Amino acid sequence: MRIGLLTDGGYPYTTGESRLWCDRLVRGLARHEFDIFALSRSREQEERGLVELPPQVRRVNTAPLWTAPDHRPVGRGRTARRGHGRRERREFAAHFGRLATALCAEETAGPHDADGFAEGLYGLAALAREHGALDVELRSETAVRILEAACRAPGANRAVRAARVPDHLAFAGLLERALRPLSLDWYGDDALGAADLSHATSGGSAALPGLLAKRFCGVPLLVTEYGVQLRAQYLASRQLSAPVRALQAGFQRRLAAEVYARAELVTPGNTHARRWQERCGADRAKLRTVYPGMSADRFHAVGEGAYGGEPNTLVWVGRIEPAKDLVALLHAFAEVRRAEPAARLRLVCVPTEGAGAAGYLAHCRSLAAQLFPDEAAGAHAVGENPVSFEELGGPEAPDLAGAYAAGSVVVLSSVVEGFPLSLVEAMFCGRATVSTDTGAVVEVIGGTGLVVPPRNPRALADACVSLLRDPERRARLGAAGRARALELFTVEQNIAAFRGIYLELMSHNPVHRESADRAQAPRPFAHPAEAHVPGRWAAPTAARIPAGAALRAPSWAAGRPLAVLLRDRLDPRDRPDPRDRADPSERAEPRERLDIAEEGAGA
Amino acid sequence: MTDLPTATARRGPADPVKALMHRHRELCERAVDPLEIAAGLEAHGVTDRTAARFRHRDVFSLAEELYARVPRDTQTPSAVRELTRPSTGWARWALLPGVVSALAVTGVRLTSGGIRPTVGALGAVAFAVALTLTLRRGPLRAGRGARPLGRVCAGWLLAYAVGGDGLLGDALRGGPDGLWALDPAAATGLAFAVAPALWCAHLFSVQARGKLASSRGLAEFSGRSRPLLLATAVLFLGGLTVCLATAQLVYGSVQLASCVALGLLLWLARLLAAHGFSAAATKVLAAAAGAELLALASVFAGRLPGLALLGRPVDAVVAAWGPGAVPAVVCGAAALALLARAAAVLARASAHCDQ
Repeated sequence: MRIGLLTDGGYPYTTGESRLWCDRLVRGLARHEFDIFALSRSREQEERGLVELPPQVRRVNTAPLWTAPDHRPVGRGRTARRGHGRRERREFAAHFGRLATALCAEETAGPHDADGFAEGLYGLAALAREHGALDVELRSETAVRILEAACRAPGANRAVRAARVPDHLAFAGLLERALRPLSLDWYGDDALGAADLSHATSGGSAALPGLLAKRFCGVPLLVTEYGVQLRAQYLASRQLSAPVRALQAGFQRRLAAEVYARAELVTPGNTHARRWQERCGADRAKLRTVYPGMSADRFHAVGEGAYGGEPNTLVWVGRIEPAKDLVALLHAFAEVRRAEPAARLRLVCVPTEGAGAAGYLAHCRSLAAQLFPDEAAGAHAVGENPVSFEELGGPEAPDLAGAYAAGSVVVLSSVVEGFPLSLVEAMFCGRATVSTDTGAVVEVIGGTGLVVPPRNPRALADACVSLLRDPERRARLGAAGRARALELFTVEQNIAAFRGIYLELMSHNPVHRESADRAQAPRPFAHPAEAHVPGRWAAPTAARIPAGAALRAPSWAAGRPLAVLLRDRLDPRDRPDPRDRADPSERAEPRERLDIAEEGAGA
Repeated sequence: MTDLPTATARRGPADPVKALMHRHRELCERAVDPLEIAAGLEAHGVTDRTAARFRHRDVFSLAEELYARVPRDTQTPSAVRELTRPSTGWARWALLPGVVSALAVTGVRLTSGGIRPTVGALGAVAFAVALTLTLRRGPLRAGRGARPLGRVCAGWLLAYAVGGDGLLGDALRGGPDGLWALDPAAATGLAFAVAPALWCAHLFSVQARGKLASSRGLAEFSGRSRPLLLATAVLFLGGLTVCLATAQLVYGSVQLASCVALGLLLWLARLLAAHGFSAAATKVLAAAAGAELLALASVFAGRLPGLALLGRPVDAVVAAWGPGAVPAVVCGAAALALLARAAAVLARASAHCDQ
């Protein structure tokens, strides 16, 4: 199949948000072809370049969401340069008016309002498709005047009614950026229209091209959201003025509702994202949770090993920040020490930049020094503190697996958490865990570890002490946690889930699109299933070898034995090429953590 | 959720949501819909389990209660986005073109013979560089879509102002024989007028922003900004005249009317380009430059046998009002056209959204 992968400030850019996940997906599903349609977020991102792409990526189309609009040569023909004629301008005013009225309406206006939004949006898209880019029109006085009129109309939202001239101008600018995907030339048969499926890697702007491809070319749309775009928008637009926020929220909410309504399937990354999607009007039958995958390979040695860790050591791993509530952890550890005087606590910090992080680290260090005096074995030995702060990559904790392996219990004390990565890693390592009930913790741990309320050091201490005193229970919980994590949170399950979803969506759309627009009734079995098979599979020897293979392997290993090729082709599962897969997981160990943490949390 | 310790339970009011409202008062007052409160609460670590403590099913219904109970803060004006203050680093460059031009003119006057054209050419290049440097920053920086054609036309118009009148006069007398007379006062006066041009444009932009923030609607803004534009244009005309009059005092003769018209034309064209309307500005500049070129060409074409008719109109105009009348009429008409365009276009709010 040919997948159109839609990203927004994401994958093919080296500084993209969810690039590791997308990279694994693309490399893992080597049997599909990928066309990548990427929107970039800043000039810096564009200048940093693209990641190395595997051969199954056939083309990469990029478009900026940030430049001054005039410098872009998008749109076709003379109209793009000369501006629109009178008739197009009148049409634009009509569609934009409908869109603006829908945006300004009260939230509870009902389905009529959603229709207005969709009609306006698709009307504008059709106009841009026929007559060239809309950027000039969207920034024109006409657009601002229509916005003003819509804000003052009788049915308008109360917050919107207070909008003044600067608010209208600011929102017109924001809307022009948000609607820029309408003016792209991605919706022809030579681009997104040729894909069998468009897969948006987040909601919002990334899903907008998917919506239009669905509208114009009938390409089914799949939306994956690890962090809900609408929620991120609310948090990001906090410094805007109230009317602009109201308008922006109105646009994003209606866009999200439209995306959820049109998508064939929506895959949230956890229950939290799922609840937001349901709240924004997603149909439950369309929602399917697909947990993010993490590479478990580097934790295998620790997880399978017999060593259960230092019996009296608690380990905490993460970035130092106030949301992790290390103060509560230190207070809890004071209680633990009262019950178990031999206990030690190792805090392994992922290095971070920023003055705030450094300040909080210093605060925690001084608190630890106050709570716990240094201890020595005898009168002539040099003492050391039972709480140690170690940096990941330093001499005491050279790698992540080693850091988890050192302790017998892993603690997580956050008050705010998205998708708790360190918890999943601890589960991979087969360590018993005690965590606070925040974010997706309960969903992840699912009964294979202890969970206590947040901001409750005494409960945290009690749970830690009970685990420290019971090695058998520790081993049991650790093994259960590892089994659960291997079942649910590996890269392989993530890729297998998407492989299944792709095939399922394909099977729901058996009629080839070329025959769908013709007048005669579609003939369901006119095209055999093999019609979707790319031609390169017929010539295995040439195409199966990645282009960069010669660089990594010695020359005598450039080809692969025929038996391997045959097995590859007959194997119903698309085996990810082991050389490809090992690559990203080795490349950036600490960065991967930051990456998925952003994806999961957004908080 | 486990029972709260008695110590915590004692200190709160009977209504637990009230404490939460107090803690997140700012968030709730600023929120434009319940979902915004929900997002903010979640960023502070409130989960569905926390919401259950407040007898709510989930964070969303808790946020709805907060949204309904906290009065919206409509009185205090929401922190108006501070428009970035235009930097004033350009101000110290504003006199640079004038100084360079004065130096070049002095150099040309002091030298003689074969070195004179070289000094003149060097001076012209230095002036072009200084002008580009000065206009690159500050309120007259060309906006989106500026085209090189506009620059070429402006250069031609300036060149005509310096040497065109002399050439036209000589041509009508049957010349030119060797180098014709140049007008140093026009060059220096116009170059020094870059300073008032920048200051007036800055004034216009600052005042328009102020009106933008204080206007109640788009119509009101248009009504207030149009007089502002006209007043600024008058102010610039005053500054321009002072510059040119001073140059006339220093160097002697100057074609005041044509230079004033040209200065106004160039200022308006640059102002329009700075606000993103360079297409209109370029068209009018090209028309004016073409008209002047045509006037010169018609005189030379009139010398050809059988085409004497072509040279007559210009001959008549120059005979009646002198050679300065041609650029004065052309630039004056073009400046009026641009003024009308600017009054229509720069009064719009959308022209001032992102300079």
